[in-house]
Amino acid sequence: MNRGARPPFPFALLRFWLARILPVWCGIALLIFLMQIAVSAIVHDNEKVKTFLAFIDMLPSVVKTALGGDMLRIGNTAGLLAIGYNHPFVLFLFMLYAVGTPTGLLVGEVQRGTMELILSRSVTKIQVYLCAGILTLVGMFALVLVMFLGTIAAVNIFTFKDRVPLEVFFRIAINGGLLASTFGAFSLLCAGTFGRLYAAVSVAVAFLVVNYFVAIISNWWPRMAFLKPVTLFYLVDSSRSWEGWPLRNMGILVVILLAATAVGAVIWHRRDLPL
Amino acid sequence: MAAIEIESLTKWYGRTRGVEDVTFAIERGEIFGYLGPNGSGKTTTIRCLMGLLRPSGGGVRVLGERVVPGRGTQHARIGYLPGDFRIWGRARARRSLGFLAALGSDGSAARRRELAVRLELNLDRATGDLSKGNRQKVALISAFQHQPEVLVLDEPTAGLDPLMRQTALDLIRAAAGGGAAVLLSSHDLSEVSAVCSRAAILREGRLVEMAPISQIIQQGEHRLKIWFRNGALTREVPLPQLPGVRVVEKEPGMLHLAYQGAADAILKWVAQFPVDRVATPQTSLEEAFIQYYRQSSNAKGPTAKGGSA
Repeated sequence: MNRGARPPFPFALLRFWLARILPVWCGIALLIFLMQIAVSAIVHDNEKVKTFLAFIDMLPSVVKTALGGDMLRIGNTAGLLAIGYNHPFVLFLFMLYAVGTPTGLLVGEVQRGTMELILSRSVTKIQVYLCAGILTLVGMFALVLVMFLGTIAAVNIFTFKDRVPLEVFFRIAINGGLLASTFGAFSLLCAGTFGRLYAAVSVAVAFLVVNYFVAIISNWWPRMAFLKPVTLFYLVDSSRSWEGWPLRNMGILVVILLAATAVGAVIWHRRDLPL
Repeated sequence: MAAIEIESLTKWYGRTRGVEDVTFAIERGEIFGYLGPNGSGKTTTIRCLMGLLRPSGGGVRVLGERVVPGRGTQHARIGYLPGDFRIWGRARARRSLGFLAALGSDGSAARRRELAVRLELNLDRATGDLSKGNRQKVALISAFQHQPEVLVLDEPTAGLDPLMRQTALDLIRAAAGGGAAVLLSSHDLSEVSAVCSRAAILREGRLVEMAPISQIIQQGEHRLKIWFRNGALTREVPLPQLPGVRVVEKEPGMLHLAYQGAADAILKWVAQFPVDRVATPQTSLEEAFIQYYRQSSNAKGPTAKGGSA
């Protein structure tokens, strides 16, 4: 190595970590894919939709709000298909990956005592952080693409009366992917900041849960509507994706994502790790 | 140019001192012992040297380059064995070692195999299933596998059986013979005196001694063992009249004394009795080390901190 030169990018670390998270990623991707098929299996048939909506109407109205609100009605095939994107189980799977990956990789290695070994090799702390960031963000977008592929597969498996506007679903998926990646970046920030896994996970999950419930309550309770813009979920309002790319919202998400990632990188680089 | 240069290194953990004003240098081909009890700051020094901790003051240079924390400075040329070696338990030793070698250096699988044969280690077992001694062998291979120019070894023989300990010491000697600079931190003073040419002793984060091993031993107490003819020693040793002298052992007809400074006063006192024979046992590094701590036990400073050392 030349004197003062930065070590080459640690692709070995990227591969090593990828091999560790791949089984989990595949499991999550499979569940998200199957969820789209399952939702399509219900919503392609009007009789099933009626039964489904009757069932939803029996539940507290907040549940309907969480699944899509007024978009859920007979004849609105696209709105019904979007349940597969808004469903709390799908969101839970996304957030499981968003929180688990960066905290598990960075704080997990620190707590296991193996980060000392990694950092004793020819690799910088920032490169280690970047590896965790790449796997989080790329993994997140790959999950979103799997979700979209699930919709494509479902549209080809089942017959729908109306044309399913796949381009809208693609826009929703990309926008949703940005939101999920922003949560991933926040988790990365937590992983770079906290020395203990439970602390990093707790703060990341708390941020996510508060955002989610504020979004649900502000949509469900008119008096709380003023809280809508406070949450990150406001930036993936799928109704805007019908008209075109929601560039403003996507721009805001990208800025938040980059800021959280950069702040996390600075903190991670400057602090002494509890080795 | 020294391979490792540590100058006025200081590290505080809040208000607790890790190390303060530590300065030393290690030349290529030299094995340098780094001694101190738990909490004296050995691991803190090593982690600053590896760029794992950000020093509060002073600096470190390795192979001529200033160590910048978190930048992996010259790490491709350093073999590091941490005091508390932990590795991925589920992965096979071969895979973990291959991964560590691939992180920015020319890890040689052939060299890895050669070391495994020498240390009698099966690389195809998961490290989580290995005994403590075998995990230590994995640690040794991880430090030596890329034939580094600098070796930073924190308790390298911990948990090894006596035969493997010798093999490990041979590896260290061979590396130094090939021109590597070795920083060897250890509690095992016999090991340090066996392989090191120089050593530094750390107490509560400060260097209290740095000298060739032989000099450290000589600076300690000297020993004198006297056998008296027919149990001729009839009186107690007049310790108040013999400053710096203490009785190590006393048996009928035999007296084992330790003394500092000149032996003149003792010999004059002993000459009053018929002496059968005299021996001067060698002081060990361990005795010298204990003495450093005994001498300075009254001068208490803030407690040092930092990992296992």
